[in-house]
Amino acid sequence: MTRAIPYLRRTIQALSFAFLLYLILRTAFPLELNIPVDLYLRLDPFIGIITVLTKKEVILRMLPAFGVLLLVLVFGNFFCGWFCPMGATIDFFDRILFRERKRSKSFDDQPLRRLRYGVFIFSLATGLMAFQVMYLFDPISLITRTLVIAVYPPVIFVFNHLLPQVQNFLPKHSFIMSTIPMPVFKVNLLIFLFFVILLTLGVVRKRFWCRYLCPLGTLFSIVSRFRILKRFVAEDCTHCQRCVKGCPVGAIPEEIPESYRQQDCISCFKCLECPPEAVSFHFGSPKWKTVNGVSLSRRYVLGSLGFGLISALVIKSNPLQSEGGLGNNRLIRPPGSLPEEEFVSVCTGCGECLKVCPNNALQSTLLEAGLAGLYTPRLVPRIGYCEEFCNFCGRICPTEAIRPLRIEEKRLLQMGVAHINKTRCIAWDTEKICLVCNEQCSYHAIVGDEKKRPIIKEEKCTGCGICENKCPVDGEAAIIVYSSGVQKKLKPEPSNNTKG
Amino acid sequence: MKGAATAIALPHLLSNRPLFFGSLAHAAEEADLVIAKNGAPSQLLQAALAPLGGIARFVKKGQRVVIKANIAWARTPDQACTNNPALFSALIKTCYEAGAKRVAVWDHTCDNYQFCFSRSGLKEAAQKAGADIFSGHGRNSYKQVEIQKGKKLKTVEILTDVLESDVFINLPIPKQHDATELTLGLKNLIGIVWDMEQLHKVDLHQHIADINTVRKPDLVIMDAIRILTTNGPKGPGKTEDIGEVIASTDIVAADAYAATLFKNPRTQKPFKPEEIRFVKNAYELGLGQIDLSKVRVRKVSAT
Repeated sequence: MTRAIPYLRRTIQALSFAFLLYLILRTAFPLELNIPVDLYLRLDPFIGIITVLTKKEVILRMLPAFGVLLLVLVFGNFFCGWFCPMGATIDFFDRILFRERKRSKSFDDQPLRRLRYGVFIFSLATGLMAFQVMYLFDPISLITRTLVIAVYPPVIFVFNHLLPQVQNFLPKHSFIMSTIPMPVFKVNLLIFLFFVILLTLGVVRKRFWCRYLCPLGTLFSIVSRFRILKRFVAEDCTHCQRCVKGCPVGAIPEEIPESYRQQDCISCFKCLECPPEAVSFHFGSPKWKTVNGVSLSRRYVLGSLGFGLISALVIKSNPLQSEGGLGNNRLIRPPGSLPEEEFVSVCTGCGECLKVCPNNALQSTLLEAGLAGLYTPRLVPRIGYCEEFCNFCGRICPTEAIRPLRIEEKRLLQMGVAHINKTRCIAWDTEKICLVCNEQCSYHAIVGDEKKRPIIKEEKCTGCGICENKCPVDGEAAIIVYSSGVQKKLKPEPSNNTKG
Repeated sequence: MKGAATAIALPHLLSNRPLFFGSLAHAAEEADLVIAKNGAPSQLLQAALAPLGGIARFVKKGQRVVIKANIAWARTPDQACTNNPALFSALIKTCYEAGAKRVAVWDHTCDNYQFCFSRSGLKEAAQKAGADIFSGHGRNSYKQVEIQKGKKLKTVEILTDVLESDVFINLPIPKQHDATELTLGLKNLIGIVWDMEQLHKVDLHQHIADINTVRKPDLVIMDAIRILTTNGPKGPGKTEDIGEVIASTDIVAADAYAATLFKNPRTQKPFKPEEIRFVKNAYELGLGQIDLSKVRVRKVSAT
């Protein structure tokens, strides 16, 4: 029975990862899944806690995350070992590709183990200063972002290129006939490299990321020091070191295998494979005390805290974030986004909105919004425009950085305003008949004058960017959407869809 | 000059005649353009097809039919920016009844295809009627062809399925259009082209005519049950219930008739076919007859 446990764990990890993949694939039109597609992010208490710090209020969608914390209090850090899709990926690659280097001497990781506590304290500090920088290190957000931005487009690319080769052999069906529009993202290589680097760290130590960096794991560790399901070792222990070597997170000290660091234990139950069967898990009273814990000196804690606070101040004094109003006027946020300052403080950069956007209109920023807005979504009309009858991004944003809007509300929300560059416009410059922008505009915000040249009605323009997207001028469009700063509501006009 | 164009066009038209009269095996072909009024969409379709010789004249057993519908916009059917779903499914069913092996519906949509297909109700209608419905968002669906007769457009990427179809049916919905005054059957075929927006760069009207020389539709069914008279082509705007279905083998004649359903905002009178430049350009290319007095027009009542 105990021998089956590692297989069971691996299966569950694989299933959990597959489920995440499934959810990401279903984060698309028509978005009719009964379970929230951002489920994993909503179950992430690190995001839950940091959003409370940055937004100074509890986000209802994030409430389930605190339930997970309660479970951790009972079962210890089970999430990392059994369900975390990031952990599953790391376990997989540690096994097949990035094997831990063999060492003659034992590896003293005491100083390294402090690292993630430092990262965690840094996150709390920047969180208090209302910055989301550390979401980038949240494992769920990280893996979702990587899958959406770096993995999904290449998969679609391969699919689209294989399709014409095999099309003739397949039955004609609308799914098989049509290629899937391939999303493109400007930051994909960066995100891919960052992820690969994290995986290769497995060469140094198995699950390097989980042990020394992961802030979510740190949070679970702190809570699971009070865990109720505990490991017990009977006196039959022969110090054979089998459990010490087998432990995937190195939570059992070599010298005293009877004990363990309950905060690091991921409840994988691998140590139940004990020759004298001395190990058992059952419920016991919670104790804060641990053996061989990390030594977090006052200096280290205060240092991390100070580093975090100062980093946040430095980020805040970036021209794009300062109060000088030097905002980027091409930075158009998705419809229903919170005001910029709040937006960058709660957006986790998970990339769900990038995936769900049917027109690939949402792109991840690099530095267009300052460092505080790294990997946050922005509307890039030349790549895709905001679809008129779509409110998907607000519906799936786990932290409600993009508020959920009804379609009617969304259609009256001004994200930006289009402007015509008359020296580039076909109609204005060469007097040919074009008016593509006018025919594409969903809101009657572009009218043609007597010579069929486009004129913009700013009071109706939502900044959806369909005009910029479809403008036939090569390169930069002749009609460009600029952000209107704060998103505002437009006046509804009486429907002119009258009969007769 | 105009006379010269006509002179070029007429022999071309005449050369089509033998083909036209040749298939007398079917019911009487009494007209080139039929306007059906009074009735439900499916009745209108049957009534409009009968004087042309019925659907059997166009669709033979085992043939592959491609319909170019207008599903360009994410609008609801009552807004008259996309085809009438009842007429649309009646047409598919009629093709199947005539023995079609497969009916495929194509459009290169302007809005996102998923929203267009679901909001217009046409995806549901197509699937219920047993047709495949495709969107031309992927470039692999197109094939580059040369336009030999094209005056300004020399090459274009056209939907492969349209080029390879046995029977090609054009199912436009006439609408007011801010750029070209009206959008009719000829302009509907912009939706079989990959680089739709690029066509506007040189001469939109001539390009529309040029594209129509590539694959002439075997049959044009004009969906004038309800037409959009303002804010076209995307709408929503004012609509008018005309209640007509126009069937023709001559796309220019069908457009010429449909143009008269709309009022020219400058003259406040119905449009003359010549006022729509792409219709005139198509006529000059010999794609059909613009002068309705030279076409056998028949008006029928469906009930």
